[in-house]
Amino acid sequence: MLSRVAESLFWMSRYVERAENTARFLDVNFNLLLDLNRITPTENPDCWIALTVATSDPEKFESLYGEYSARSVTDYLVFNRSNSNSIISCIGLARENARSIIESISSEMWEQINNLYHLLQTMRPENVQNDPFSFYREIKNASHLFQGITDNTMARSQGWDFIQVAKYLERADNVTRLIDVKYHMLTPQTSREAIGLISSVDIIQWMAVLKSCSALEAFKKVHLSRIKPENILEFLILDKTFPRSIHFSIGAAKEALWRLSGNSTQKNLSNSDRLIGKMEAELSYTTVEDIMERGLHDYLGDIKQRLQKAGEQLHLVYFAYHTPEIEPQDESKALPFTGVAGGRANWSQAQQQQQQQFSLRKNRARNNA
Amino acid sequence: MKRFFDGYHPEASRFFDEVMTGEGSPRPHYDKLLSRFGQFSVDDIKARREMVNIYFRNQGITFTVYGLEEGIERLFPFDLIPRVVPSEEWALIEKGLTQRITALNLFLHDIYHTQKILRDKVIPPELVLGSPHFRREFVGITPPRGIYIHITGSDIIRDGEGNHLVLEDNLRTPSGVSYMLQNRQAMKRAFPVLFEKYKVRPVENYPQELLRTLQEVAPHGRGNPNVVVLTPGIYNSAYFEHSFLARQMGVELTEGRDLVVNDNMVYARTTRGLERVDVIYRRIDDDYIDPLMFRPDSKLGVAGLINAYRKGNVTLANAIGTGIADDKVIYSFVPKIIRYYLGEDPILQNVPTWLPGNPSDLKYILEHLDTLVVKAANESGGYGMLIGPESTTEEQERFAELIVKNPRNYIAQPTISLSRHPSLFNDSELYGCHIDLRPYVLNGKTTTIVPGGLTRVALKRGSLVVNSSQGGGSKDTWVVDE
Repeated sequence: MLSRVAESLFWMSRYVERAENTARFLDVNFNLLLDLNRITPTENPDCWIALTVATSDPEKFESLYGEYSARSVTDYLVFNRSNSNSIISCIGLARENARSIIESISSEMWEQINNLYHLLQTMRPENVQNDPFSFYREIKNASHLFQGITDNTMARSQGWDFIQVAKYLERADNVTRLIDVKYHMLTPQTSREAIGLISSVDIIQWMAVLKSCSALEAFKKVHLSRIKPENILEFLILDKTFPRSIHFSIGAAKEALWRLSGNSTQKNLSNSDRLIGKMEAELSYTTVEDIMERGLHDYLGDIKQRLQKAGEQLHLVYFAYHTPEIEPQDESKALPFTGVAGGRANWSQAQQQQQQQFSLRKNRARNNA
Repeated sequence: MKRFFDGYHPEASRFFDEVMTGEGSPRPHYDKLLSRFGQFSVDDIKARREMVNIYFRNQGITFTVYGLEEGIERLFPFDLIPRVVPSEEWALIEKGLTQRITALNLFLHDIYHTQKILRDKVIPPELVLGSPHFRREFVGITPPRGIYIHITGSDIIRDGEGNHLVLEDNLRTPSGVSYMLQNRQAMKRAFPVLFEKYKVRPVENYPQELLRTLQEVAPHGRGNPNVVVLTPGIYNSAYFEHSFLARQMGVELTEGRDLVVNDNMVYARTTRGLERVDVIYRRIDDDYIDPLMFRPDSKLGVAGLINAYRKGNVTLANAIGTGIADDKVIYSFVPKIIRYYLGEDPILQNVPTWLPGNPSDLKYILEHLDTLVVKAANESGGYGMLIGPESTTEEQERFAELIVKNPRNYIAQPTISLSRHPSLFNDSELYGCHIDLRPYVLNGKTTTIVPGGLTRVALKRGSLVVNSSQGGGSKDTWVVDE
C-alpha cells in the first residue's frame, strides 16, 4: 500500500472519531446543565470552559469569542472553520482525505462520509440550539454508520488496520482528555484528597461523564450503582472489555499495529509497536490505587504524551518512508500530530489547478471550429 | 412515435442532422429509438432523468469547485437521448483512426531519430524543430516497441454533408473516457428495453484493454510489470477520471510525491518499503513531470524521472514529446504524413487548414478573416482565437496584425457547422444541438478502439461550444451491430 494512501486512511479515520467525540462531549454537557438547572444557570461559563479545554485551544476561543456561553462554545466546537478541531472542520478533513484515496475505500464508505459532509453544510447554529439532542445524535449515528460500513465493506488488509489504529488512538486520546478535565472540574479543591465524600450533584455529574462515553449501562453491569469516582476512573481507564475505555482502545490499537507489522512475537519490534505494546502491558497491571497514588492528572498527562509519541513513531515507520541515501529527512517535518494535515497541503493545489486551467484553455480553443 | 418528435425541426438545409434526413424522415438506424421514445410521457422521462442523476451523484461523478470552505458540486450535464452509430460508419472511423495513429507514431519515431521526413522536404524542418513541443532531449531515445502514442482521443466532427473530419488529435493526455464508461452504465439502467432492442457493442472492457496495452509496453525483461497511474492530485478537474481508471484497472493511483527515483529506477513509497514501478500512465503534462528536466518549480512531478525514462527503466504513456504531433500547424500536414509513411490515401479527412507561413495562404486568410476561424497554434500562445463571423472589424484587424507578426503561431480554418442531434431541454423540449465525437484509441502490440466514445453536446441553443465549462454536456454513443 502506498504510504500516502495509508496516511490518508489514517487521518480520515481519526477525524471521524474526533468529530464523534466532540459531539458526545457537547451532547452530555447540555444534558448535564439541564439536570443542574436548579443550582446553576445553563449559561454558567465554568461548565463550558472545561469543554473547550478538553477538545480544543481555549486561547484561540477567547480571542475569537471572548465569553464562554452555550452559544459561543457550540459555535466554536461545531461550526467554526478556523478551529481545526470543530466538527465541521473534522468532517471536511475526513472527507478530503477520503476523496484523495477514493479508489482505496468502498464506495459505500465514500457515500457515507460525503453525505455527512453535505448534511453539515446545510446545518445552521439555530438548528443545534433548537434541538441539540437530535443534532448530536445524528453526528454520533453517522460516525457509527461509517464505522459499521467500514467493517462490513472493507477487506481486512493493511488499509483496514490503519483505520483501526487511527480510530483507537484518537479515542484513547479523547477519553484521556475528557477524564482529565472533568476530574478537575468535578472534584472541589478541598476534597480532592478525599474523593469518597461526594454529593448527589457530583453523582449526576459523574454519570454524565459515563454517558458521554456511552458507558453508563456497561458501568452499572460491573459496578452496580456504586457511582464513585474511583470506580468510574477504573472503568474508563482500565476496563478491558468496554470499547471506549483507554485500556481497550490501546489494546485494539496494538492488535491492529501488530497485524500491520506481522509481529506476533516480540522480536524486531518497531518503535510504534513497542511504545503501544508497553502502554498496553502497563495498563494490564495497573490498579486505580496506583493511579491515585501517582496523581490522576499526572498519570493522564503521561498517557497523552505517550500516545502522541506512538503516533509520531507510526508516522516515521509507515508514512514518512524515506531512503536516507536519497533524501535526508528533515526531522522537523516529521511531526504529524501538531498539524491538521492528513497529508493534504496547499502548495500543490495551485499547480494542479493551473494544469487544469491550461487544459480548459486548450478545450476552449478547440471547440470553436 | 409521431408524438415525441413532432415538434422537432432538423433545419437540414443548414446542418447535417444525425437523426433526420433532409426530407424530414428518420434515418433507419434511429427507427427503434424514435418508436421507443414515442411511448414515453414527460413523467417517464423525468423518472429516468432522476435515475440517471442519482447514479451520477452516488458515483461522485460531479464537477467540483473544491475547497474545505464549501464544496460546490455540479453534475456533468448529460443528455438522455443516445447517439446511434451504424456499424459501417463506425468501421470507417475505426479504420481511419488506426491509419492515422499508425502514421503519427511513425512520424514521431522518425522525428526523434533520423528525421527523414524533414530531409525529404515533406514538412519544412523549422515547423518541427522550432515547435515548443519538440523535445530535443529525446532524439535517439527509443521507447519500448517504438511506441510514442499509447492513448489517443481524436475529436471527430461531421460537416454539412455528413463527412467525418478529424478536428484535432489529442496525443498528450486526452481525458473523458470515464464519462464514456459511466454514461453507458447510466443508460443501461435508465433504458434497458431500448438498449436490448439495439445490439449495442460493449465499451466496458476499456479498462482491461488499457491495462493490457500498458503492460505490453513495459521495459524489456520486466515480467509481470507494475503499472501505476500518475495524477496531479485531487484539485485537478480530471481527478475523478484518474481515480476511476486506477480503480477499474486495479492499479495504484500515485501522485508525484509517492514516487522516488534511485539509481535511475522508479519506486513507489509503500508502507512496506520501496516498490519498483515499470509503467506510468501519466496524466501530468510534460512541463510538470520532472522538475530536474522541465519546470523546476513543479511540485507535481518526480525528480529524476526523465533520466530513468531515458535509460529505459520505466515507460511513460504517452511518451514525452508527443505534443509535436498534435501541434495545430503539424495537424495540417497529417494527410501528407499518412501518404509519406504508409503510401495510402487518408481515410478520414482533415478540416481544411491554411497556414499563414505560406504567402498564398496568408493572402487568403487576410482577405477572409470575416468568415474564417483563426486559432493559436499552441495553446500557450494565450491570445485565444478569432471566430470570423462573430467578430468585429477591430478584432479582425488586431488578428491580422498578430498573424503577420508571428505567422508560425496561427492557423486558419473555415467555420464549420458541426452536425446536430436532437437533445432534450428540461426533459420535455427537443432541440437540435451540435455534437462531436471523441473515440479512444489504444496502441500497444496492436491497436484497439473500443466501439463508442464520448459524444459531446453543445447544450446551449445554437452554441457550437461543446466544452463543459460553457454549458456543454455529453450523451452515450451506441455503436450498433446491424
